Amino acid sequence: MTVLDERPSVVDPPQPAAATRQRRRPANPRTWVRNGGLSNLLFLVPMLLIFGIFSWYPIVQSFVMSFQKTNLVTAPTFVGLDNFVKVLQDPLFLTAVQNTVWFAVLALLFGYPIPLIAAVLMSEVRRAKGLFSALAYLPVVVPPVVAVLLWKFFYDASPTGVFNSILAMVGIGPQPWIQSITAAMPSLVLEATWAGAGGTIIIYLAALTGVAPELYDAAEVDGASIWRKIWHITLPQLRGILLITLILQVIGTAQVFLEPFLFTAGGPANSTITVLLLIYRYAFQNSLGGDYGAATALSLMLAIFLAVLSVVYFRLTKSWSQN
Amino acid sequence: MKSPAKIVTLVAVTLAGVGLLSGCSANAADSDGTTTIKVVSLIPGTEQAAFDAFDAQVAQFEKANPDINVEGVEYEWSAPTFAAQLAGGTLPDVFRIPLTDAKTLIANGQLADMTAQVEALPYFDTFNPSVLSNAQDADGNIFGVPREAYGMGLQYNRALFVEAGLDPDAPPTTWDEVREYAKIIADKTGQAGYMQMTQSNTGGWQLTAATVARGGSMEEVASDGTVTVTADNSATKEALEYLKELRWTDNSMGSNFLYDWGTINQAFAAGQIGMYTGGSDLFTSLTRESNMDAADYGLTAIPLTDAKDAGVLGGGTLNVVNVKADDTVKDAAMKWIAFYDLNKLVDKDAALQDAKTLADTDQAVGTPALPVFDQATLDQSREWVKEYINVPQEQIAFFAEGNVGRTIVGEPSAHTQELYGALDTAVQSVLTDKNADIDALLDTVNKTIQPLVDAD
Amino acid sequence: MSKTKIEDAEDRGIVSVADWTKPRIRRTMRASHAVLLVVLAVSGLGPLLWLGKAALTPTQDTLRTPLAIFPNGIEWQNVVTAWSTIHLDVQFANTLWVAAGSWAVQIVVATTAGYALSILRPKYAGVLNALVLGTLFVPSVVLLVPLYLTVLDVPFVGISLINTFWAVWLPAGASAFNVLLVKRFFDNLPREVFEAARTDGASSFRLFWSIVLPMSKPIVGVVSVFAIIAAWKDFLWPSLVLIDPMVQPLSVRLPALQQSIELGVYLAALAISSIIPILLFLVFQRMFLRGAGLGGAVKG
Repeated sequence: MTVLDERPSVVDPPQPAAATRQRRRPANPRTWVRNGGLSNLLFLVPMLLIFGIFSWYPIVQSFVMSFQKTNLVTAPTFVGLDNFVKVLQDPLFLTAVQNTVWFAVLALLFGYPIPLIAAVLMSEVRRAKGLFSALAYLPVVVPPVVAVLLWKFFYDASPTGVFNSILAMVGIGPQPWIQSITAAMPSLVLEATWAGAGGTIIIYLAALTGVAPELYDAAEVDGASIWRKIWHITLPQLRGILLITLILQVIGTAQVFLEPFLFTAGGPANSTITVLLLIYRYAFQNSLGGDYGAATALSLMLAIFLAVLSVVYFRLTKSWSQN
Repeated sequence: MKSPAKIVTLVAVTLAGVGLLSGCSANAADSDGTTTIKVVSLIPGTEQAAFDAFDAQVAQFEKANPDINVEGVEYEWSAPTFAAQLAGGTLPDVFRIPLTDAKTLIANGQLADMTAQVEALPYFDTFNPSVLSNAQDADGNIFGVPREAYGMGLQYNRALFVEAGLDPDAPPTTWDEVREYAKIIADKTGQAGYMQMTQSNTGGWQLTAATVARGGSMEEVASDGTVTVTADNSATKEALEYLKELRWTDNSMGSNFLYDWGTINQAFAAGQIGMYTGGSDLFTSLTRESNMDAADYGLTAIPLTDAKDAGVLGGGTLNVVNVKADDTVKDAAMKWIAFYDLNKLVDKDAALQDAKTLADTDQAVGTPALPVFDQATLDQSREWVKEYINVPQEQIAFFAEGNVGRTIVGEPSAHTQELYGALDTAVQSVLTDKNADIDALLDTVNKTIQPLVDAD
Repeated sequence: MSKTKIEDAEDRGIVSVADWTKPRIRRTMRASHAVLLVVLAVSGLGPLLWLGKAALTPTQDTLRTPLAIFPNGIEWQNVVTAWSTIHLDVQFANTLWVAAGSWAVQIVVATTAGYALSILRPKYAGVLNALVLGTLFVPSVVLLVPLYLTVLDVPFVGISLINTFWAVWLPAGASAFNVLLVKRFFDNLPREVFEAARTDGASSFRLFWSIVLPMSKPIVGVVSVFAIIAAWKDFLWPSLVLIDPMVQPLSVRLPALQQSIELGVYLAALAISSIIPILLFLVFQRMFLRGAGLGGAVKG
């Protein structure tokens, strides 16, 4: 597979047109058609329609709507920055931001080192490597909704709950799991890590096989221990992929929805309400029509924040990752 | 497909299909002169027997009205779904809404005006005015047909009562007794003695019921119509203090505190909850969907304090018609509504036929309800179908007996859903945070909802 | 990171052959691998085995003694009820439909657009390319509400796609990731072949159908795997636009079922929903794992 070889990056500049292809300016429609202008356009029709209606138009709409009051009953009216002010003044806004950050931090604490350690260990497995990978990846194949609903039952806080029964076998009393303001978020992250770690492990495993064996050979000539090899060769060689998975994980967790929505609906007492859940509530919670202005305003703020974060992140890590 | 031209055709057909598929909407008069109406049938996931009963009723109706063709659509009211269907125009011709939503939908012009059809009903005069008024605009035009009305009751699991050594035929009548019983159930059975809904706005709904039962009110409406949010009234504080005591002093509320309407019913049916407050119409759902043994079900009146205004929180649903319906559809819709929901209350033959159909398919007959018409009509209809009643009346009689002479109080009217949502947080805080500051929580609710009310 | 290297890398890793001969290191490695295997088995397999057991256990047994193995026998009825009475069969078929349609739309859009932008390359291709690339940087959350309103009332056509599969299929096609992936693949195809075909008088359509498409099987395969997995997993979007249970896929239906059916049947429903993806995974393990590794490479 050619695509495997070159690690395409979507931020490459568009390539110059092939030399054999000449730029031509149609003199009139007939020439345009004869030169293939029409058939070119025909091939673009699916993309233009689909992207136009379901991507570009909604993106433009989200900018427009964030400055409007829309309820689908009366005509939208321009309200300036009211939506943004409303969102910023909503006491739930700060709660949602704090919770989202907390989720992201916990997800990094649980979900970042565990797959790395597992992948490094697994890369050294000599026999039945496939079994390790398969077991690690199994949770990823379970549909996310099923995973959450299953864990929701595991988290039953009564003494006969699944996890509490297991804890009881080792003499630990029942835990409240998602029924407690403090334990709910870590419980959500624990499930999310379970569901996602396998994918990250496989990515790291693939990256680990790309580390040139010569580097280890050279280090051994200098008498390096295993720890030194990991620290001075393996990790630096994984730098690129580690940096990417880090920012992707942050961007992903900033948009976390499924877990808080299905586990707790934001509870107990808003301790797991996240930014995306708040957007959902603005737009879809009320049976009499949503506050679409506030919802789009908050979406835009989140998107801009993530864009700025990514730019800053890549600036800061540029020298390090290309080192 | 072998040729390039065909793939272009495929794309074109695919895109054209969008138009075709969604362009075809039902209803309106069909070519053969019959009118097809889409009506809500049952909650998705309901057991087959209930669908069989529904189909049987549709067949009876179509036989009596050969020019009308009825198509059942599975339907479960939920806030996001309803909003989407309303905005997308995909609601069936006949659907149901909670009483609290009616005023806004009427004001927004989203419901069909059914004044002519409803007033033409022979038993129009006997509608319970306090229920019907929910479906009317300021000029008295009617936009909905009352379908059912319920009052909040105390549901209890008779099996758990027995297991805890309590007499299931002597349910508690005061909040102190509820607390006492809850403690006994929790200690003896290890299950939650008492619980309440907490999620997806139901926490606020049930807290409002508890408030009303203690004589309080979440919103005060002045004579000029201005609404003041009064979530910090003393009755609500009392209700939350009560929960706090049960939860933290008695530890009689179990260990799971995130319940909405569906999940608390499930837990109750599975024997994990001794008592909770809920609508008097729950029997059907509990036995049909949650598979509860009817013999374990008990219902009694919600306890009221001695406070002057203490009452029972009520609610109900309206049958309404899609605003897009023309007169033919509206007439057909009215006939269906009358057939399916009303005639059985006012007409002996209809009542018998309905009860027989339900009983034959093993569905509930004789569930407790509040009168959509007057009390005499309700009693009379019960009398007609006596032989078919299969809901154990002696297990639910406490509800009717306890409610004699009580006032039914309507739900708060302004920004109800937002209010309930904000109150959810207060309820959840009290149940999950030992040091929750009730005054501060309720103050936050006031501060969140009042601006919304003022902005109208 | 080339394919050959993945296979050659079996020769050695961090721990050298010399290291492996040292008893202390060998013991430590063996032990840590054993621990890892146990942890992976318990965490990866454990919950699923439990689900399989619970699907066949009467509700009250699961509630009272969740860890006991069939204390009062097996309840096959759970599975039967979930499949037929609850109409999981319908949602199962819907799930397949949603995946198939999303796949078809994505393939059509990605291949035609990739072909036009990479090989036909009209002079406005650069602008379009930038517009597609741009959407890659817009998080999906921004689209949620406006896209929803678009689907409620499609511009120019004025119809609502709510409760039709098109509401899921068509937006799925607007995947910049797919278009760029296919375009980059086409960029690397040998130009000479196209020029030769052109010289022989092949039309754009003939070129696309007879030459480009047959050459692009690998990338179509990759896009297909991503498209089908994504469609199977998606929850939020289909839950907004597919409201009628009769058109809902499993992922949307299951959370609602939690409220309306008894636990045993519900757990059976969860088990049924997982079994197909798990079987597919076990059969096509290599493809899945390579795809997952590739996912990382592409993102990188």
